[in-house]
Amino acid sequence: MSAISPALHAPTALSLRAGMLDPLGTLARRRFQLTVRTPRELVVPLLTPIMFALVIAPALRVALHTAASYESFVAIGTAGLLIPLNTMFAGIGVIVDRHEGAQRELLAAPVPRALLVVGNLLVAFAVTALQLAVLIGVAVARGIHFDATASGIAWFVAAAGLFTIGMYGIAEILASRVPKQEEYIARVPAIAILPWFLAGSLFPISALPVFLTWAAKFLPLTHGLALMRYGLLGDASGLHNIWGMSSTTGMASLSLAVVGVFALALTVVAIRVFTRSAVN
Amino acid sequence: MIEVRNLRKVYPGGTEAVRGIDFEVETGEVFGLLGPNGAGKSTTIGMLTTTVAPTSGTAMLAGFDVTRQPLAARAVSSVVFQDAVVDRSLSGRRNLELHARLWRVDGREAAARIDEIAAGLGLSRLVEREVGTFSGGERRRLELARALVSRPRVLFLDEPTVGLDPRIRAELLDVIADLRARFETTILVTTHYLDEAERLCDRIAVMHAGRIVALDTPDGLRAELGPELVEMRARGNPTAALDVLRARGVAGDDAFALGATLTIPLHGVGASAAISVISELDLASAISTREPTLDDIYLQLTGDRLAEAA
Repeated sequence: MSAISPALHAPTALSLRAGMLDPLGTLARRRFQLTVRTPRELVVPLLTPIMFALVIAPALRVALHTAASYESFVAIGTAGLLIPLNTMFAGIGVIVDRHEGAQRELLAAPVPRALLVVGNLLVAFAVTALQLAVLIGVAVARGIHFDATASGIAWFVAAAGLFTIGMYGIAEILASRVPKQEEYIARVPAIAILPWFLAGSLFPISALPVFLTWAAKFLPLTHGLALMRYGLLGDASGLHNIWGMSSTTGMASLSLAVVGVFALALTVVAIRVFTRSAVN
Repeated sequence: MIEVRNLRKVYPGGTEAVRGIDFEVETGEVFGLLGPNGAGKSTTIGMLTTTVAPTSGTAMLAGFDVTRQPLAARAVSSVVFQDAVVDRSLSGRRNLELHARLWRVDGREAAARIDEIAAGLGLSRLVEREVGTFSGGERRRLELARALVSRPRVLFLDEPTVGLDPRIRAELLDVIADLRARFETTILVTTHYLDEAERLCDRIAVMHAGRIVALDTPDGLRAELGPELVEMRARGNPTAALDVLRARGVAGDDAFALGATLTIPLHGVGASAAISVISELDLASAISTREPTLDDIYLQLTGDRLAEAA
């Protein structure tokens, strides 16, 4: 080994503040490289939406002798499983980072620690968006009909996006609080799958017993799915089952507010929990 | 460059890892924190690097308060952690680039520095490989290279040579010494290797149970025990033997016993005179003289041999 030549530098407070968001792209790029470092890790998550759209939705329609619209209903319902599963599995990366990765190096970096959470969120969001796009694309290719307008797509994107953000917040909180991967994975079914059965994914919530119908109205996923169906299918029955109002736009706005508050609150809590747990 | 005042850390559950320590490190100085596992060294580095929240007290890096100005404090410092803290599935170069970007090093400048530092640390042929394939020594060199990419004013090294083979360890110590000699990088290093501390450090703070129990240059610390000491294996009760030697004026307050072994720093008494008294009283089954070491200082201060405690 030979001599090396470090020199001195001193950042100014101004330059630090001005460039505070610059590292976000670096953090997101790192997370993306860790997440999809092999083609397998990019392709395997796509199998789930493809399987649902090509196999499960048509099979349910044949087995239950329902109309073709049920395929569309289930295709959107599939999004309600895809988003929680994908975001929850993204949270595992936080635990790996803590135990075997470079988390402490990132904590010692001159970047606000909230950006570490946001950088992870951006990648979870992008991968989830890709999976949703594949789900919808494969469903359309399979002949499943969607009745989407520009405004309808906007409702869908807003609902899916905010729900994804909120679910990733849950994943970050759990990853910060749970010490081991095994314990984290053991909690995933209760968080990602159980609500899916109650939130109107495979059947309307009005088909549930009365007390479960009421319980379902408090699940952000119920609001998210009702909005996504309203957006892509023009079907407001899910919103009506929740709110029972005459104004469709009013109901959609209320549900969007619920999902928005869910996203905002969980993100704020996730940043707080991560920051506190990381320095203690 | 580093200023620590009454710094204290109590972990949840009540464990007081650091109990109000004070020290200063000058620009370009290599400062060692010496002590066994659990002494509070890593917690101290954690507080200085803002990865552990202090319970009370203050710490400043290059004039930046680590609690009130954590971003600025982190911007002027880098740390090599005790354990491996790398992205194993990324290449060595990508790990270095990541550090450069987070520390806001210009892209072209970063590429030049990475090449220079990688060459300096013998990593040029390795940096394109996935870090998961690196040996322990290679990974350690990579972590040191990473810490240097941002050209820190303050470099924290937490047990930097643990687990390395002697050759790599010697090479790393050369690199660290070179930083001090040529570029006035302020270095705070924790270790429980005495030879490493003596070789690297301008000053050493000995930590024990969360407190600094001694702080001086290596020579200054050794000088506290005088130029020479007698080490003897007591024939009977070592405490009684020590009392007798104190009464005869051979041993002072800084003499100590560890098991059957008495260590007696000589102040104003010649070695031959001391041995003569010990022989006359028939107190020892074996006796020798030697110069004091840092281990003697540590033993005298804490009652534990450093290597055993570590």
